[in-house]
Amino acid sequence: MTDVTAQSRPAARPGGTRSDLLRQIWISRADYLYVLPAIVVMLVVIAYPIYYTVDLSFYKTPPGLQLKDKSFVWFDNYTTILTSGVFWRVTLNTVIWTIASTLIAFVLGYALALALHREFAGRGIMRAIFIVPWVISAVAASYIWKWIYHSDFGIIGVVMVQLGIVDRPPNFIDSVNTVLPSLIVVNIWREFPFAMIMMMAGLQTVPEQLLRAAQVDGASAWQRFWHVTFPHLRGVSTVTVLLLAVANFNSFIIPWIMTGGGPSNASHIWITHIYELAFGRQRWGVASAYSVLLFIILMTLGYFYVRALSQGERRERGA
Amino acid sequence: MSAPTVVHAPRRRRIDGWRWASRFFLVFMLIYTAVPMAWMMVTSIKSGFAAMAFPPEWWPSEPTLASYRNLLDPQNSVGRDFLRFFWNSLYVSTLTTILAVLVAVPAAYAFSRFRFPGRQFLFFSVLLRNMFPAVIFLVPLFILMRFLGLVNTHGSLVLTYLTFGLPLAIWLLKGFYDNIPIQLEQAARIDGATRFQAFVLIVMPLSVPGIIATAIYSFIGAWNEYIYAYTFLSKNEQLTLPVGVQRFFSENTTDFPGLMAASFMMSVPVVVLFLILQKYFVRALTEGAVKH
Repeated sequence: MTDVTAQSRPAARPGGTRSDLLRQIWISRADYLYVLPAIVVMLVVIAYPIYYTVDLSFYKTPPGLQLKDKSFVWFDNYTTILTSGVFWRVTLNTVIWTIASTLIAFVLGYALALALHREFAGRGIMRAIFIVPWVISAVAASYIWKWIYHSDFGIIGVVMVQLGIVDRPPNFIDSVNTVLPSLIVVNIWREFPFAMIMMMAGLQTVPEQLLRAAQVDGASAWQRFWHVTFPHLRGVSTVTVLLLAVANFNSFIIPWIMTGGGPSNASHIWITHIYELAFGRQRWGVASAYSVLLFIILMTLGYFYVRALSQGERRERGA
Repeated sequence: MSAPTVVHAPRRRRIDGWRWASRFFLVFMLIYTAVPMAWMMVTSIKSGFAAMAFPPEWWPSEPTLASYRNLLDPQNSVGRDFLRFFWNSLYVSTLTTILAVLVAVPAAYAFSRFRFPGRQFLFFSVLLRNMFPAVIFLVPLFILMRFLGLVNTHGSLVLTYLTFGLPLAIWLLKGFYDNIPIQLEQAARIDGATRFQAFVLIVMPLSVPGIIATAIYSFIGAWNEYIYAYTFLSKNEQLTLPVGVQRFFSENTTDFPGLMAASFMMSVPVVVLFLILQKYFVRALTEGAVKH
């Protein structure tokens, strides 16, 4: 039986003989029924699209979705991408966007989790307020910030004028130089709560005795954090950072609604660029090639993600 | 006896330093978080004229609920559309949530309890789904939906939302099941229950908090989803809130009070839902994803 009782022994390690494996599969056939619905849904909506995208990336496609007239062009789409200037601009934007958003959101969320860990009056309300930006739709968030950044009536610009910092409200999202940082501020606004929730959950697992022992031994608050809390939360931190990085890399709504990638590509990131290529200019082949490159990058990130998770899983089973 | 006090004094002061730093930080973050939301609400109760006053009115001299009345009035065309979008969002999100729970519960249980060949591989391939952006799947899914005859139906949305909600749902739930002692099921088995009975009668009731967390997550994800809805639906009467609001206000670009009122109403259901049920969500994360 590959029943609950078999938990202590990791069955079906792919090291046994072939017939062993087949027997294992046959014995645990009932187990698959539980995961079958999930797998079927995944296959239809994931495996097929991936195959399709890879295939399409080798074709030149006519505009519109009449894909019958496509012609096989080997790696032309890929060379088109890699030799275009826009590609490098967009890639640089994506790197800045992903790294800045991820790190700042993570640090803010981590610090908040620490600041809110102690019991004090108003803690619950504060936590609730901090979570809201993560829960509301990105579309609503984009509109709120678009209004705040508005070049004539935006509250930030007006306050800056009234304080005498500038003469007239700056064009935060209409200027090539400020658009990307301005959008990153919005993105962080939406994402730091996620880091906060993850780290709050993590903090609850830090053994209280350990911290108290360190305190008795004369460790300062910083030392207690650095030598006890921080190492204890390394696993959660890794997972959180990776999840944030992937989410940021895949962002679409905020740049799309707030600027549409403009002005002059200054806020285009990979995903918005692909979307525009596919649905705006109907260059399906090139967009597919872009997607394949994206796959490769994501799979690399995914490798680290899985490794971080399976380390957790191994530790858990060892316990 | 003077030695301990000498040791203590500087440490106290250092802790206070951190305490002040954390207070300043909290105030800063509160401003950053709450001011945009407060400004949304203040703007939503202004008249269109007052919203563009200079210098701005921090509190409207003549607060009005006209924008909300406009959006919620089934008699005029704006209100009719808005209520329809709202209903569509509710319908799609609820259906997605129910299906996601039905699919995720057995899968998470199996990943937690059984050791079948390929378990690791399947589990991680499910998780990997989280890594891919919607845009990659748009064209092939669009073609797939056309093949299935689902373009311009809410079915296409439910099916796609299921897939991006499932991985995290399964992950959260698996953590939950990992923490339910196996002995409970073993006892039930000894008493003559089948494995399935043990699952339904013993494990399911214990995992209700995890299921609630999963349901919230799926609902919020579906409620806020934009890009698939933007691509798969074209008929006005089928749009969900994010797309409907966007389409409406790309035609009325200067109606900021209306836009802020719509953003506010779009946020209320998920915020209320999350705040009521957040303890389950945090608990699910603590017990499942984080504790190893």
